[in-house]
Amino acid sequence: MIFRSIIKSIATGDAEQSLLLTKRALAQGFPAESVLEKGLIAGMDRVAEKFREQRVMVPEVLMASRAMHAGLSLVEPLLENFEKKSTGKIVMGTVAGDLHDIGLSLVKMLVMSTGVEIINLGVDVTPKKFASVVRKEKPQILMMSALLTTTMTVMKEVIDELESLGLRKNLIVIVGGAPINDGYAKRIGADYYFEDAFEARAFIDENLTKIITKKGRLN
Amino acid sequence: MEFTKLFSQSEVERVHEASLEILENVGMLVRNEKALQIFAKNGCQVDMETMMVKFPRDVVENARKSFVPTYTFTAQDPKFDVTMPGDRPIVVTGSSAPNIIDPKTGEERRATSDDIANIAYLINELPGFDVFSISTLADDAPEGQFSLSRFYPALKNCKKPVRSNTPNMDDLKAVLELGALVAGGEDEYRKRPFINHHYCPVVSPLTFDVESTEAVIYLLEQGLPVYGTIVPNAGMTSPLSLMGTLTLGNAEFLGLATLTQMIRPGAPMIYAVLSTVADMRTGAYAPGAIETGMLQMAHTEMARYYNVPSGGYIGLTNAHSNDAQSGYETGMNTTGALLAGADLFNMGGLLGSLMAFDFGKAVIDNEIALMLKRMKKGFEYSEENLCLDLIAKVGPGGSYMDLDHTMKNMRTIAVLPKVATREMRRRWEDQGKPDAHSRAMKEANKILSKPNKSRFSDELDAKVRGHFKGLVAGDAKWSL
Repeated sequence: MIFRSIIKSIATGDAEQSLLLTKRALAQGFPAESVLEKGLIAGMDRVAEKFREQRVMVPEVLMASRAMHAGLSLVEPLLENFEKKSTGKIVMGTVAGDLHDIGLSLVKMLVMSTGVEIINLGVDVTPKKFASVVRKEKPQILMMSALLTTTMTVMKEVIDELESLGLRKNLIVIVGGAPINDGYAKRIGADYYFEDAFEARAFIDENLTKIITKKGRLN
Repeated sequence: MEFTKLFSQSEVERVHEASLEILENVGMLVRNEKALQIFAKNGCQVDMETMMVKFPRDVVENARKSFVPTYTFTAQDPKFDVTMPGDRPIVVTGSSAPNIIDPKTGEERRATSDDIANIAYLINELPGFDVFSISTLADDAPEGQFSLSRFYPALKNCKKPVRSNTPNMDDLKAVLELGALVAGGEDEYRKRPFINHHYCPVVSPLTFDVESTEAVIYLLEQGLPVYGTIVPNAGMTSPLSLMGTLTLGNAEFLGLATLTQMIRPGAPMIYAVLSTVADMRTGAYAPGAIETGMLQMAHTEMARYYNVPSGGYIGLTNAHSNDAQSGYETGMNTTGALLAGADLFNMGGLLGSLMAFDFGKAVIDNEIALMLKRMKKGFEYSEENLCLDLIAKVGPGGSYMDLDHTMKNMRTIAVLPKVATREMRRRWEDQGKPDAHSRAMKEANKILSKPNKSRFSDELDAKVRGHFKGLVAGDAKWSL
């Protein structure tokens, strides 16, 4: 069964196989939606579950994510209702003064596997830069990270900048990084804090549709 | 004391050579404008567009010629000045944690300037600690006083050398202003600069930061004390092999050392690291892992090759409470580092991989520090210390208990711990079976219940508070 093979190619992090098998599945006439759901996303879900049980390690998850995206590149243009607007958009980056992006990259890799579009601004992103990209791209979600206790205060500056430019409304602000916690997130006016990439992925996975359609309570 | 060697001479030389190869062929990404110019002016190949700097080996070797073998931490009170390397390891608190374990409730919360005042006083009194690196942030800092809210309570309550970092140049200059005020003038301060600046200007792999590099350059130009720590994390920001991480970290040290010596030849440095191996099961940061100790030992061996003092953040723990894990992670890693000859131990008081300060942990680390110092002092080999006469005098079957020699040595030969118990079980049970943490908290309570005699004089305090409006109180206040 081709879906089982796609799942396996993702679980083993084999991007070449994933690409080849996705192409074959589409050629055999399987609809893009089911290749995505039953093959690519199912493969990623399996890896995520294994990770939670500590049966695979971080590099394996990253390889799996890469393999999934190889397949996704073929499927994406074929999805019937495919419009960037309907899949949701996230802008992310590490705040100014901070060059640490390991956690950010991990979050990006995992969150991407929900199908959401991600614009990663990388490291050392100033409040002005965050604000101008938010204005231009109109994402539903902004994700900021900081590793240094001396740079985490910049997160508040970003939120203040968004407020002052009238960009804060209708934007969900998520913060993360070693020195951040729930209390800090609340105090600086962020909406959510997640302890790790998997919590972030779970939240987006569960709530993305509600966020895009602005219907239903987020949980 | 002979130090543990992990490598042969030719292996050490190969690591050095390999580091030069990295700097020459791979180079470093330098995101600071001034640093780029300094590198360009001094013989590096610099691409101003891409910010890539390549270091010809001669340039690095030339910088090596002005390395100096010592580094001094200056204190407000000269009796606490301390120079590395010496006959004891220099023990420093861990720094800049956002949180504290509340001494009353045992719950973790954000730390405040009042906490810093209490910690500063405690570190001033605990003899195992040589340098107070400001342990936490101050969540109550008024707008624009992020760093003053840390340095003021620290300097006010601790006469030992104070060490920490600042997030930007404005904060750095405010802190230096505070230093000059306390010293009684800028000239006075420059004679004895008792604020010891520390940064991590290199972000692995092979990248110079913007702001902290700026601060390092400024302080070097001003002739003020500053050093950096190199922090590769194997599997994440450096190769997942101990040799690969050692070599990359060594190259990064040489990159920073080259910049340092270009700015001020002969500027004292510390080969300081926090080289770790990530826990690849989750990507978790693991400074308490045994590999941190192993890497410290290897870096220290490289530091000896360069003849510069060495050490780093060694003796940290991932444990979230002051428990057995906290003890064995701090104990094993620092012991390894000490035996390899490390001079500087940034180890005291923090739990949860640099996330939270704990008073009990600081007291236990003080005791570990005293044990490390005891080890470093060693056997004091001498003919006299063989005690041959004494052994002949007492003979077989006698006792050494009531001899003058024993009386003379009984307070100095062994560490007399305040936390570790040596009582018989019954007595310990009668006391309510206190564990190490509760005995340590009792010690902290004993110290902090008394008023701080080392505090700023009222006159000095009035001067400081008059100069910086709206400063936090910064007084040690303790009640359990």
